[in-house]
Amino acid sequence: DTVPPQVVPGADPSTRQLCFAWGPAEVLVCETLFGRAGGSRYRCLSRSPSPLRFWSEGRAGAAARTLTGSVAGTGQGTPSSTRVFVVRRDQDIYIQTLRKLFNESHGIFMGLQRSEEELAGKSRKAQLVQVSKNYRSVIRACMEDMHQAAVSARDPALQGQYSTQVSILSAMELIWNLCEILFVEAAAAGPLLLRLLDWVRLHVCDVDSMVREVLSSESPSKHKLFWNVVDVFVLQGRMDEARHLLSKEASANPTSMNMYKILDDLMKKMPVPSLGNTQTLTELELKWQHWHEECQRYLQDGTFASNPHMESICKILLGDEDAILEKKELMTTWYHFLVTRLLYSHPTVKPLELRFYAQSSMDLFLGGESSPEPLDMILMAAFEFEMHQVIKECSIVLSNWWFVAHLTDLLDHCKLLQSHNLYFGSNMREFLLLEYASGLFSHHSLWQLGVDYFDHCPEYGRVYLELHIERIPLSTEQKALKVLRICEQRQMHEQVRSICKIMAMKALRNNRLGSALSWSIRAKDAAFATLISDRFLKDYCERGCFSDLDLIDNLGPSMLLSDRLTFLGKYREFHRLYGEKRFPEAARLLLTLMTAHIAPCSFWMTLLTDALPLLEQKEVIFSAEQTYELMRCLEDLTAGNPDKQKFQDDDDETTKVEMLRLALARNLARVIVKEGTVEGS
Amino acid sequence: QVSVINTVDTSHEDMIHDAQMDYYGTRLATCSSDRSVKIFDVRNGGQILIADLRGHEGPVWQVAWAHPMYGNILASCSYDRKVIIWKEENGTWEKTYEYTGHDSSVNSVCWAPHDYGLILACGSSDGAISLLSYTGDGQWEVKKISNAHTIGCNAVSWAPAVVPGSLIEQPSGQKPNYIKRFASGGCDNLVKIWKEEDSQWKEEQKLEAHSDWVRDVAWAPSIGLPTSTIASCSQDGRVFIWTCDDASGNSWSPKLLHKFNDVVWHVSWSITANILAVSGGDNKVTLWKESVDGLWVCISDVNKGQGGVSAVTEGQQNEQ
Repeated sequence: DTVPPQVVPGADPSTRQLCFAWGPAEVLVCETLFGRAGGSRYRCLSRSPSPLRFWSEGRAGAAARTLTGSVAGTGQGTPSSTRVFVVRRDQDIYIQTLRKLFNESHGIFMGLQRSEEELAGKSRKAQLVQVSKNYRSVIRACMEDMHQAAVSARDPALQGQYSTQVSILSAMELIWNLCEILFVEAAAAGPLLLRLLDWVRLHVCDVDSMVREVLSSESPSKHKLFWNVVDVFVLQGRMDEARHLLSKEASANPTSMNMYKILDDLMKKMPVPSLGNTQTLTELELKWQHWHEECQRYLQDGTFASNPHMESICKILLGDEDAILEKKELMTTWYHFLVTRLLYSHPTVKPLELRFYAQSSMDLFLGGESSPEPLDMILMAAFEFEMHQVIKECSIVLSNWWFVAHLTDLLDHCKLLQSHNLYFGSNMREFLLLEYASGLFSHHSLWQLGVDYFDHCPEYGRVYLELHIERIPLSTEQKALKVLRICEQRQMHEQVRSICKIMAMKALRNNRLGSALSWSIRAKDAAFATLISDRFLKDYCERGCFSDLDLIDNLGPSMLLSDRLTFLGKYREFHRLYGEKRFPEAARLLLTLMTAHIAPCSFWMTLLTDALPLLEQKEVIFSAEQTYELMRCLEDLTAGNPDKQKFQDDDDETTKVEMLRLALARNLARVIVKEGTVEGS
Repeated sequence: QVSVINTVDTSHEDMIHDAQMDYYGTRLATCSSDRSVKIFDVRNGGQILIADLRGHEGPVWQVAWAHPMYGNILASCSYDRKVIIWKEENGTWEKTYEYTGHDSSVNSVCWAPHDYGLILACGSSDGAISLLSYTGDGQWEVKKISNAHTIGCNAVSWAPAVVPGSLIEQPSGQKPNYIKRFASGGCDNLVKIWKEEDSQWKEEQKLEAHSDWVRDVAWAPSIGLPTSTIASCSQDGRVFIWTCDDASGNSWSPKLLHKFNDVVWHVSWSITANILAVSGGDNKVTLWKESVDGLWVCISDVNKGQGGVSAVTEGQQNEQ
């Protein structure tokens, strides 16, 4: 087992510790020295020169493993590293060629969740088997792509990486296929063997090139590997192909014609389980017993004695373990050996009997020379029908949750998993889906798939979604809107508010007041709306015009979110009315803004100044009562409050006040006359 | 598999004491004995120095990012007894507030859940905890809990925001009645839980289990369960997981995660609170998860592919 790479190189365990922090999808690690705070009571040094290590779990947002570097003493007080390492799990999601796997399996997953649960019995099973096959074809497609990538890669390191991925995918498909046979389809005795034969034929490909070589040679029976290929066919139960090759040999060697005819006949007659219900198991067993005895007789009679190859084939037909084991190199794996054994000694094997044959097959095949690898253990667990064990082992060995999450979900739909209560009370299916989906969230676009997975986790899906969706960087407005839509669809009000507030703040920092305002309205954030309205008003005072008129003009009822916002909206309305020369309405509005205290006191001076042009129109606009009101407002402003000292001190202000007083007085005079003369004419 | 996706060379001139990612994992803040706080843009595996903040006069112990809805805000605390709040304004980072109300080293800073507003808790070696609340217009209001822990306070951690009673959407502009709580750990070997009542902070609970200084506390994020969980670690080498089952917060029970052979300095929860990272003891960083039967297991991957999870046995758990 390979030594893991060092994360914090050169770190000396006797003088340093490691400090870490969680990021949203990663962990930060750096060297530090603890023990400073709280006084010097304890120095943090560990006495033991043990190697510096991180424990990590492939699943966690964990720190990587390190190896102790041998560090020549670095000077005390000079840190050997002021670097921070950003560490992440699940880097698989960044492999481009796996994207198809994630995207397409997502589609299959969603289809499965929505599929008809009312279908019962056979049709439901057929449906689930189809789903399983779909998953497998996605794996195979991905393998193809990965293989192409490996072939065309120039960089040997990259090539190596791709090749590794191909073998991992291949192993996944192997395991999944077996699970499909044993668990999803739950093949019964009879068809079980046929399925296993298919499985072996599909997955043991080491001999393919040899087969091709012999078959394509001019005279196959003369090829030195001829008998190997015949053996391969026999071991894989490919009787027709074996017989075909044998016939070539027979025509080349007429002396063995007799032997050949007998062997060919035996092979032709071999009873095998059929997929249709043409015979019962008992019938098959009976036939098989007779056939077996017949083979036995021929062997014992020495029929094949003069041709060791044919004799060996006959022994294999009889299920002779030693004879089969001799062909180890042609089988390459213990599970091939297992299936061959079953074919020739117990073709009607029942599913629950598999475990015994599996264990002994593995023992016999490995023969104490090599020990089982993780893949072997997983397959063994499957043969033993220990589903939980299969899932657990796969979780440990594989580098991301994709496989176990989807497989477990499928098995759960087959109603095969008992509720295996974990910490939070959620079952294994949900646990794995949560882990898988969480991993997707650290990817800039795959996170959207994650949303759907969380949706189908009834217990914690929602809260996990809430926690994760908040951490998606809202780099563009489109992305923010996308995230918002997702939150709104699920009534995640807190998150909606939070996101809108964040966007409002961002817009404000970039001086995009209109955007900031619409975001804070969406967030129903009164305080922020007030802040932004003030900014608008300030801008108006400085520049004499409004920005983002469209937005302010169309506020509608959201104007009521905050008083300042209402004022902003109404003030703009005043300007519009004035621009449309609807002076009486404008005048009324202006007055209301002050008298109804919609306008902040700080703005009154501006409003009164805005009244000036209205006061100086040829036509009289303000009524007497209104004029009195205006006067009162002006006096309120200038008198009373000691803070308004500036009105007396500031020359500009005093001039303005004077002008206003004059204008108001003149207006009053005109209006009194006007109102006095209205009646009568 | 786990891999290093980025290595940020901070160029600090002395030991780094803390490194924190911002909310989205796009920026990294580091602080050091060289008295500076540095901020890096770490998107896409890069490392661009955005700011080198000077203002502290002693080693800076911790940094903490505020929630992005308040803008880009970072708090730092230092041996120089100061807490500084930095803010990014018009593209540049500046000091926006400095708090000097402590009499000795400020060891820990932690921002409250954003739902409460912009509030920072600070724990100091002078034994006090101060709470700085932003009231608007560049103004901060200070509330101080004197003598929160005798000898000194080493860590503070806020409870996640949970609205009591029903969770019906409040009418706009109205703040729901949150019950604000946070936990602190100190040199009096205690973990304390503080609750705000009538605008005053009161000690709600005293959690006793450690036999030496508590170095860190971490309140787990909420996943919607009625239980609350706090992790605490101490010079005594122990890490405890405290859980409280009822909403009123009255009965906390400790469970020993593990007894390490050395001081445990730091504990921290992942964002969905399913993994606890513990640093200390034998210079390791270990990751822990609660298993089916309620036991805490160390997730280790020593022998690749062979037996991943090893449970901490009862015997080991009760080892004193």
